[in-house]
Amino acid sequence: MNFERIKDELAQAWTVAIKDVRVYYLRPGMIMFGFLMPFFMFFSFSVKRDVGAAEGVARLLAMTVFFTAGAAGPFIIPTERKIGTYDRLLAAPMSLMTLLLGKTAVGAFFAIAVSGVSLLAGLLFFGAEILQPGLLAAGIVLGAFSFSTLGLAFGSMPTTNPGDVQMPSTLLRWGLLFISGVFIPLSEMAPVARTIAYLSPLTYAQDVMNHAVLGSGAINPWLDLSMLALSGVLFLIPSVKMHRRARVLGR
Amino acid sequence: MNNAIEVENLTKYYEKFLAVDRINFAVKQGEIFGFLGPNGAGKSTTQRMLTTLLTPTEGLILINGQDLARDSYPAKRQIGLVPEESNVYTELTAWDNLMFTASIYRVPRNERAKRAQELLETFGLWDKRDIKAENFSKGMRRRLSIAMAVIHKPSLLFLDEPTPGLDAQSIRAIWELIRQMNAEGTTVFLTTHQIEEANQLCDRVAIISHGKIAAIDTPERLKANFRRVQSVEVALEPSETLKVSETFRVSNEGLESLPGVTTQVKVGDKTRLYTEDPSALIPRVVHFAESRNLRIVSLNTLSPSLEDVFLEITGGQLGAVSQEEEKPARRGMGGRK
Repeated sequence: MNFERIKDELAQAWTVAIKDVRVYYLRPGMIMFGFLMPFFMFFSFSVKRDVGAAEGVARLLAMTVFFTAGAAGPFIIPTERKIGTYDRLLAAPMSLMTLLLGKTAVGAFFAIAVSGVSLLAGLLFFGAEILQPGLLAAGIVLGAFSFSTLGLAFGSMPTTNPGDVQMPSTLLRWGLLFISGVFIPLSEMAPVARTIAYLSPLTYAQDVMNHAVLGSGAINPWLDLSMLALSGVLFLIPSVKMHRRARVLGR
Repeated sequence: MNNAIEVENLTKYYEKFLAVDRINFAVKQGEIFGFLGPNGAGKSTTQRMLTTLLTPTEGLILINGQDLARDSYPAKRQIGLVPEESNVYTELTAWDNLMFTASIYRVPRNERAKRAQELLETFGLWDKRDIKAENFSKGMRRRLSIAMAVIHKPSLLFLDEPTPGLDAQSIRAIWELIRQMNAEGTTVFLTTHQIEEANQLCDRVAIISHGKIAAIDTPERLKANFRRVQSVEVALEPSETLKVSETFRVSNEGLESLPGVTTQVKVGDKTRLYTEDPSALIPRVVHFAESRNLRIVSLNTLSPSLEDVFLEITGGQLGAVSQEEEKPARRGMGGRK
């Protein structure tokens, strides 16, 4: 692939992402699953539990990035399949990876924007301090892209009904939430629980937020960031496979 | 002349169901090629394979000489696709829909606005450019969908059922646009089950039935090869005044038993008698009318329509499809006896 082609493909991914931002961000499905849910989850598990401001902000940021980024894929792709606009994208002169990159960016941008709101609320209302802003930014951006590809994997299932994938996607994310170190710090977990927690990418996002906001974490922050990047790449594999399968099945 | 599309042994199974069965055909550059078939015959499956939306089980597809299986990118740049559903982004304005498509197809930035304006004017949507497509009628969405498909000036345009459900004015406008694009050099692959549409537009047609190409030729040659579906159309009425409900029955009872009639079909207030030899049948019809003291209101011979050919090939019933837009070659007598 030559430089011109790469430039074209990046521009196409950007175009897809910006179009989706304009078309889908204010849809009820996105607001419900992407904006309101992380806040509901946060308040459900944090209110009256003696959570400090800094710890609460770190937790809210991790949950916002996790839930918001993963909301776009399961909503947008089945919706586009249903109304036929997805065919327009699949038939366009761009690679499948470009299309997936564009769709990943939609969820990631949404997560970055909503985490900005969470961060602002943390700074203004809870008086939280950010000790490592660079690490926080890296954690939010990498986490947003990684969790967006998780949503994309569900969105890539060959269905035209967003409900078919939104529910299983939400269930899996709840599972990943409960096994992660969001509610119980890794250091307080039993060894078996801690081992299981390492399977959830949210664990690494929470740990990065802890480093950035609280100033300490249980894992090396570089390892956290690497694990987020790695899970993003791993989540892309089922997306690619399911898109290829959909082309074979004609769905 | 080079081929815009070449297909060899193209096959598609959906699990165990064989949808397209080793078909072969070629579409010449600059041609309007009709792909006809009843529902479920395999036409949309074929078109989806040609436009990379579906992976063939087997076979070769060349678009302007380029193998789709090897690298679809060059072919995709040359293809425009108008799917059956008008897949426009209803939340965006007509202008934004076009700008989005132009950007996806990498139309040079300095040409996008000019091209979009040209198309919106051509498609009668310039005044509506800032209105969201959700407020458009079906015909307007269709036109916008076609405009989006051609903004990058494709050399090959795929249209899947472009006109069903549209009013006559929109249909004519879309036909005219297809002709105009073809005159400017665009090859058109038209998938349709609207026989008259294919008859009006296509240089050649292929008829697909049960996943196989059943016939492929120019519409006129196809018709000429189906002499057995020629017909005589006659309108008779009794000399004496009868109740409306009785008139047709009394006038036409017995026509189907005339020698040489293969099938009889009621067409409005007329009867169409299919025959291999219209010239032999006409005197029999005249004699039938005279012997029963009936007046001949009109009497015409009809050469086979493309619809007749289509039904004959696909195993449909003659006269089973609407004849409202049929343009038969009338060469017989008309008027009153």
